[in-house]
Amino acid sequence: MEILAEILKVTIVVGIILAGILVILIWIKNQTKKISYLRLFIQIASVPVIFLGLIIGPFGLPQFPPVGNAPRDALIGTNLFGAPFPDGLSMPILACYFPSGRTVTCAIWQIQAYIFPFWNTGLGFGWGVYYTTTGLERLAIVFTLVIVMSIVLGRFFCGWFCPFGLYMDLMIRLRKTLKRRYWKLSDKVNTGLRQLRYVIIAAFLILSFVFGAQTIVGLQLVPGTQRGEFVHDYLSAPFCQVCPMKPLCVLTESALGFMDPTAVFAQNTGLLYEAGYYVTSLNVAVLVLVTIGALAYRRFWCRICPLGGLISIFNRFPPFKWISGIRLNKIEDKCTKCGICKRVCPPQVTDVYEERGGDVTSPGCILCFRCVEMCPYEGCLEIRVAGKPIYKSRNWLEGLH
Amino acid sequence: MATKSEGETKLIPEMPLKEIEKMRNTIKSASMKAIAENIERMKKAWSDRPQTMQYFDEISNLFGQREEELRTQKEQGNKIIGYTCMFAPVELILAADAIPVRIGSGWYDTTRLGTRIVPSEVCPVIRSMIGAKMVHLSPYLELSDAIINPLTCDGKTKLSEIIGDDKTVWTMCPPRVKDSPQSKNLWNEEVRMIKKKIEDLTGTNITGKRLRASIELMQKATRAFRRLQKIRKGPPVIMGRDAMLVNQTSMWDDIKRWTEKTEELCDELEKRANQKAWACPPETSRVMVTGTPMIWPDNWKIPNLIEESKPQGLLVVDELCSGDRLLHDPVGVDEWTMSDMLDAVAERYLLASTCPCFTSDDGNKDRINRLLDQIKEFKVDGVIYYVVRGCILYAMEYARTKKILDRMDIPVYYLDTEYTREDVGQMRTRIEAFLELLEARVQI
Repeated sequence: MEILAEILKVTIVVGIILAGILVILIWIKNQTKKISYLRLFIQIASVPVIFLGLIIGPFGLPQFPPVGNAPRDALIGTNLFGAPFPDGLSMPILACYFPSGRTVTCAIWQIQAYIFPFWNTGLGFGWGVYYTTTGLERLAIVFTLVIVMSIVLGRFFCGWFCPFGLYMDLMIRLRKTLKRRYWKLSDKVNTGLRQLRYVIIAAFLILSFVFGAQTIVGLQLVPGTQRGEFVHDYLSAPFCQVCPMKPLCVLTESALGFMDPTAVFAQNTGLLYEAGYYVTSLNVAVLVLVTIGALAYRRFWCRICPLGGLISIFNRFPPFKWISGIRLNKIEDKCTKCGICKRVCPPQVTDVYEERGGDVTSPGCILCFRCVEMCPYEGCLEIRVAGKPIYKSRNWLEGLH
Repeated sequence: MATKSEGETKLIPEMPLKEIEKMRNTIKSASMKAIAENIERMKKAWSDRPQTMQYFDEISNLFGQREEELRTQKEQGNKIIGYTCMFAPVELILAADAIPVRIGSGWYDTTRLGTRIVPSEVCPVIRSMIGAKMVHLSPYLELSDAIINPLTCDGKTKLSEIIGDDKTVWTMCPPRVKDSPQSKNLWNEEVRMIKKKIEDLTGTNITGKRLRASIELMQKATRAFRRLQKIRKGPPVIMGRDAMLVNQTSMWDDIKRWTEKTEELCDELEKRANQKAWACPPETSRVMVTGTPMIWPDNWKIPNLIEESKPQGLLVVDELCSGDRLLHDPVGVDEWTMSDMLDAVAERYLLASTCPCFTSDDGNKDRINRLLDQIKEFKVDGVIYYVVRGCILYAMEYARTKKILDRMDIPVYYLDTEYTREDVGQMRTRIEAFLELLEARVQI
């Protein structure tokens, strides 16, 4: 068994590297240079990297009582990144905190969890994590990381690395195989959803404070907690209880045997959500809704994702806007406003079409570069990294067979 | 309509068949002479014309090979669907196995007949088409089982009432503002309506597979077309008139064959570019033409004059809906589902169009942008803004175009004319004066 597992790990790692080289070679050789293929490969390849703990193990099963020694956290936390990152490196992608084996953590969970009590060091949220830094220091680290990453790559994370984005894209592929058409939200609704992201961010921050209130004033909103303690409860991260990524990750890992399903569902707080500690019924309901939504509308979740909103704040608004790394640029003269960029855009961003020219990156844009790929006018749309064009739209008709 | 069949509302006057035939034969022989003469002049101006051009010369004969082909196709039961304007979704016609032909009317002589029905203030393109209908001159118009008539300008709008006397005319109503959601809905509905009508006429169901095939066919034509235009960006390996003729034949030729021949021509031209075998001296002034469509065969006087005058000009590119605009924009499909394909087809004809029939807050900036891009890409020295009398939309857009081109220091000349041979001498003087200006000018 041990040897088999080792062989499996080596095969997966070597396989991914070989596949990557192959994809890039095909991409360079192929005249069409379809960036969608490259993107799909990077999306798939980043899943094992995000959940590297599952491959390089040993991964632990969730244990109860929560305080215990689970190797996955030891690995990704203190052992890999050092004491300042007890819960793993925070990244602006939906790399869920709850399942086993993840190397990076969703920044949203960390922000919520560290808010209270921010003056404290001490034992963490079970699983044998011990915080040597105060909550405030940890928050500073998280925000520094998120802001730097947002400025440098922006929502490139959403289009290229986010595993939930991959799930959304797989839903598109599933719909395509079923030969069904997609639906479109009206621009008004779409803009509304985009605004809603900021409301969601504000709401879960406020809720984190409210649920953390007992640590200050002793108002016990959550049963079984004590004054001055960490909120040893899922309510320490209110957004995670509605997030669709948590059940997706945990259920997938349970199904694959990386987590113990009985333990996943055993812990029940008996509050609003009857399913259990890891997956609440609200979680599952949202996941189902989002999945159905994603089958009808392309990249459905990405339009209301608060994490995407967080990146947008640190990328598309001044002063961050002035120094952001990746931009989508449009040359006005070359554009005949044929509308292709607007139609092919998965999150239905209209700015690329409507803006006259110049920097057309918008808060809703996930930088998937589908518009650049489909724009039929040579050099009209281009991706600029630090001001330098690296990929331009070209006459894709030349690649027709 | 019932009233129409009674002949009370018919606009085309009843004429004895003999008289019609006589007039048709006179105009037809004049037209055939004009075709032969135009080709002769093109050959004379460019001594080593490529062999492939011979094909386009043959196809350009409106009363020759292509008419015969269409007649045979019609006898075999295939439907022919004509269209009067490039807003008609050709892909849908092709998808139903019908044959699309564009009915352009470039005959000077028929305009005089047209004035019997409509006043002479009306755009001569329309009058010419009415005249052609009166004497059954245009073979494509006569062979069409139905005609798609997009109501772009006022002339086209009223034209359907006149040619509708004894032809099935399907109108399509493009909105005058492109960007608003209601415009998009209207146009999408129009395209779906035309699809239904084509299906009913041909009895062929336009399936996703068929539509995809026809979209890909047209994309390949666009590729060949763009390749030719790209070659024209460099030093002159092809005369402007010849390239314009190639572009125009795509309107009535079998599109697959046209694509093959154009690719063939491009191969030859690329070879010549490598050998530096220029069609005319590379320092010849590069002229661009924009405005009212110039339609083969009679209305070839401006291209002829530009490339034959002294000093010579090279008609390097045009922004005409009978030229560069024909196949410049491809249909870009995201997902090959029926709804997305239809949306893509609809958007290609509406949004990508730079027709002056549109207006917007910024004054049809799309067209200006297109002009500016072409001026840069084709290294244009001067622009001739060609307008025929009665073409109000193009005439009215001149002011803004002039303003912007002046700012860019590009000379622009407003050339207004009529559908007549009588002003050729005057035109020659005006064009020569402009070309002299271009030659004398030093670019700074």
